[in-house]
Amino acid sequence: MRTRTSRQMTQTQAAYTLLLPFLAVYALFLIYPFFRGVWISLHDWNLLAVAFNPDAKEFVGLRNYERVMWGRNIEWSLFAAPFWQVLGLIGLALAVLLRLGDKLSRFNAIALGVASLLLIVIPGFHAGEGGRWFDRRFWPTVGNTLVFVGLAVPGVTISALLLAAAVNRETRAMSMLRTLFFLSQVLSVTVVTLIWQIMFSPRQGLIANITQAVGGTPINWLTDQQFAMAAIVIATIWWSLGIAMILFLAGLQDISKDLYEAAALDNATGARAFWYITLPNLKRTITVVVILQIILHFQVFGQSHLMTQGGPNDSTQVLVRYIYQTGFRDSELGRASAMAVFLFVIMGCFSIIQFVVGREIPE
Amino acid sequence: MGRFFGACEDAGTDTTTSAGEACIIQSIINAADAELDGISINTLPTDWGNYYDQIKAAYAGGTPPDVHVMHRHRIPEFAGLGALAEISGELEAAGIDASDWSPAALDAVSYNGGIYGVPMDFHANLWHVNMDIMEAAGLVENGAPVLPTSPAEMMEHAAMVKEATGQDYLAADFAQFPIGVRLVLALMWQQNANIFTDDGTATINTEAGKNAVEAITQLFDAGYANPQLNYADSQQAFLNGEAAVLVNGTWVVDFYSAEAAKEEVALDNYYVADFPTLFETGATWADSHMWAIPASLEGAEREAALKVLAFINDHNIDWARTGHMSVRQSVVDSEAYQSLPHRDEYTGTAAIARDTPPSERYGAIQDVLNRELQAIWLTDKPVEAALQDAEFEVQDLLDR
Repeated sequence: MRTRTSRQMTQTQAAYTLLLPFLAVYALFLIYPFFRGVWISLHDWNLLAVAFNPDAKEFVGLRNYERVMWGRNIEWSLFAAPFWQVLGLIGLALAVLLRLGDKLSRFNAIALGVASLLLIVIPGFHAGEGGRWFDRRFWPTVGNTLVFVGLAVPGVTISALLLAAAVNRETRAMSMLRTLFFLSQVLSVTVVTLIWQIMFSPRQGLIANITQAVGGTPINWLTDQQFAMAAIVIATIWWSLGIAMILFLAGLQDISKDLYEAAALDNATGARAFWYITLPNLKRTITVVVILQIILHFQVFGQSHLMTQGGPNDSTQVLVRYIYQTGFRDSELGRASAMAVFLFVIMGCFSIIQFVVGREIPE
Repeated sequence: MGRFFGACEDAGTDTTTSAGEACIIQSIINAADAELDGISINTLPTDWGNYYDQIKAAYAGGTPPDVHVMHRHRIPEFAGLGALAEISGELEAAGIDASDWSPAALDAVSYNGGIYGVPMDFHANLWHVNMDIMEAAGLVENGAPVLPTSPAEMMEHAAMVKEATGQDYLAADFAQFPIGVRLVLALMWQQNANIFTDDGTATINTEAGKNAVEAITQLFDAGYANPQLNYADSQQAFLNGEAAVLVNGTWVVDFYSAEAAKEEVALDNYYVADFPTLFETGATWADSHMWAIPASLEGAEREAALKVLAFINDHNIDWARTGHMSVRQSVVDSEAYQSLPHRDEYTGTAAIARDTPPSERYGAIQDVLNRELQAIWLTDKPVEAALQDAEFEVQDLLDR
């Protein structure tokens, strides 16, 4: 017995040994940089100055966070941003009423309630008399990122779902189309943005040529405040459609043919079958796709950096680009790290939601 | 070696026939690689917009290129931290005659009494003119374009151009690259004003700032210029004959000359003019390209790097073919320089070249101005509000 244990590892030991390489890499390249980032965010840390003189940093506690997120004479009031706050109030009332009337599961009611509460609280902050934000660009940048996520995620999800449903057939043409639609995914962001900059060009672009052919005036997509965000969203949807489509295709192939046959007997085909059979059966895949897309698109950088340079007038400035500029152009690593920690918290929240939702559905 | 100016494949080693910034500089580099014994040069061309981010990251990581290009306006930031090598004592041994540099060129590479690079050019904003449009509008006299001397006169000229040809008077990148910022800056300097003082007080929301901005917005409001064109589109508009004037730098003179000679390009009759004085004092935005080596470079590598700097310095005349102004007196005086195409049309530019006071936050300040000015002409933000916001933000940057 004794010789056995000394020669052979227990299961736990084996597990740890096998996990060790992963844990080492994970700690070195993820855990350590993360805590280092938090550490840097507590300093006044100039990228170049510290490189030449390691003592050039100064511990400033939470001041970077204050400088980024707060301001002088910041007040909170109800109806500072009436549209969002009223929307939040309505959401909150709905959550309570529907829950009382038992029309909503406990989980959904809490989700709706929390989202509504955030809508009421966050837009309520504003600079009071004689006050102003220390960093006027930070919150608008967060807002732009949210708008981007809010447009890109449903855009990718819905178009990928429709495409997947359309090409989910066993013919040669369809398998070719599947490959074609997936192809854009393998391109790098530089190539994608180059393609779309040409597409959107008001002079040589395909879109401009079509608009002119039907007698319209071409739109300056990338420099018009109304269209710039739409332009980068469109490019993003085209780019990141592939993975979502593949996930949906996998989900679709899991749905038993019997269900459709049974439905056909009840006269449910085409759009009705899609609505009553495909969608409910894909619920889980949709959730996964949506959460993955949310986390992915919060990190948007290349599209805005390369296509619009954050313009016009910052309307497409997004969080990661702001972090990049603050860290590398302005050399303010401390401030940039504080913003990065904020982004981490947001994405962390969505990861937790994914975790919770993943457990909720099987009930 | 690190540089911007764009990529050029097959630049060859003939420095006398290459055309355009990217290919001329690459041919000089290739020639240095071939002709200098024991020195081989790997070039890392980087996109203009990300160049300084990359150089900074390289310095911070301890692996800067042995030789790299930079702008005069970045010296306070890089030399101030001790990143750049001070080379005043090594120039002569390397075969670089600093006394041949014009005083302004020497000034461009100097910081706190030291020399931190080899200057390569002065570049400035010019008015690139389509003479056929000007002719049609009756704005040509003695073979030269008649340019405005006040904002009001500019509107008159713009109206004449629109009436005679239906084309825009002026085009420039007002939407992305900060050409619009440089225009407004020039117009502020022309009123003897600046965006901040030497002691670090932002002065943007002023009468002069408002005058400068409104001199330009009046063109947009009347439909004589389009603020939504970016760099490529504004250039295309000019080459297509859709604008009488394009405001852009010295770096495109040889390119536009070559384009104007082509049959299929609508622009036929190309002329280069000094930035006109619309207020009291002549001024146009200007900067300098220069080559530097990192302070950490030592021994044989430092010697080799200096040889490369000397080689580039020797080929100043080739670089001047782009349209940039030479930094060497001997080149400026030479027959070859004076006979470069269009060169005699913008001789006044050197005297009116200006830039903002030195600052470690040059890039961020430009960005603030670019954003707020775009807000005015692309999103109808009131001029005063935008200038006030710009002043607040620039002050914040200066105070940091």
